[in-house]
Amino acid sequence: MDWWFWPLCLFIFTLVIGIIAPISGVGGGVLFVPLTTAFFPFHVDFIRGAGLIMALTSALSSAPQLTKKGLANLKIMAPVVIVSIITSILGGIIGLWITAEFPEGKYYVTIMLGIVLFIIFIVMLISKRVEFPEVKKVDGISQKLGITGAWFEPSLDKVVEYKVTNMPIALPAFAAVGFIAGMFGLGAGWANVPVLNLIMGAPIKVATSTSMMIITVNDAAAAWVYLSRGAILPIIVIPSVIGITIGARIGARLAVIARPRIVRYVVLAVMLMAAVLDILKGLKGLGYVQIPF
Amino acid sequence: MKEIKVDPANTVFARTMEILTYIGLALMFAPGIIYIVYGSGFVSTEDAVKYWNVSAADFWKITRGIKISGYSWFLNNLGYLDCLSIIGVVLLALAPLASIVAALTRSDIKYKIILAVVIIEFIIAIVRPLFMYVTGH
Repeated sequence: MDWWFWPLCLFIFTLVIGIIAPISGVGGGVLFVPLTTAFFPFHVDFIRGAGLIMALTSALSSAPQLTKKGLANLKIMAPVVIVSIITSILGGIIGLWITAEFPEGKYYVTIMLGIVLFIIFIVMLISKRVEFPEVKKVDGISQKLGITGAWFEPSLDKVVEYKVTNMPIALPAFAAVGFIAGMFGLGAGWANVPVLNLIMGAPIKVATSTSMMIITVNDAAAAWVYLSRGAILPIIVIPSVIGITIGARIGARLAVIARPRIVRYVVLAVMLMAAVLDILKGLKGLGYVQIPF
Repeated sequence: MKEIKVDPANTVFARTMEILTYIGLALMFAPGIIYIVYGSGFVSTEDAVKYWNVSAADFWKITRGIKISGYSWFLNNLGYLDCLSIIGVVLLALAPLASIVAALTRSDIKYKIILAVVIIEFIIAIVRPLFMYVTGH
């Protein structure tokens, strides 16, 4: 097989992920790492490295515009990332340590990835979105920090003002999310958005936008761990980032025309399949099961 | 569309991030694409394809006979296109830090303190591998 076969497959694969992600509302990074682990020959170290750079690039490309519109808010992001930077770095260090120190480390990580993906699947299936949550009482930290914001909402033709709450409950949740993002090279919108929206009471548009801002910081910090261990390979990163960037632009245009609910369910089903495949692949590597792939 | 007044810290954060992202992407893509097309680099595409199924630690031992711990593997080899494209990744990984530094100058005292802590954490993340390397861990 020619050397360019897999990079080309990777480009087409990430292009498709990029198109599907905005239509389904499922983040590209969450699909990339588990599916690539299941179907491509790359070591999970390089897949996680590429996943981090992909998620970082996507977040960096969208966060500035969302911030200028008043949707992404530095005042929410700053206290959150104080905690999540540390855990995302720890996640990266532990993830690479497992594969470097244990001969079967790759399989342990693959099994853990499958389990995490299964949890993500459940979260995405059951979590609801609240357009404009009502915040009755603001917690002490948010009050002292004066965390408020406003943006112009075209659908209401008015400026919407908001405040957030429950910062002490949200911080441990962000710590856990940071760890998972660093360890598995995942973007973490699937967890950031429900925490910001349902626990902290940020309006859904603010939650999705501020999540992008948080991802830029968490993933950039973890990227240094992967860079320092040589786990960023241009031959894997470049086709992936180009594919998802082009795909996301096509997907964003298609999403404006139609967002059929069936696409979301198909993508969730694919996620579930990837979770099962990753667990089976890991168990096969450890010699616990015999499967033909 | 009605104009709303966005916090100046947010605005300067966004502008800095936007500029660095464009430069980082250009620096990553241009040499990266040439490397993939022509195939020669610090690690040739042929070797990369052959050994991309082993762990990062083993990959570098096999392909270059080195143990990676820090950033010298690409900083000392910028004459190679694959290493040059990593500089783009470095810029992208620095973009949030630079944006936070820029935002700090426009923030009130409470956020100056919080952002200063974030900056220190970020710098520790960057220099930690160098410190670990020096102390032999």
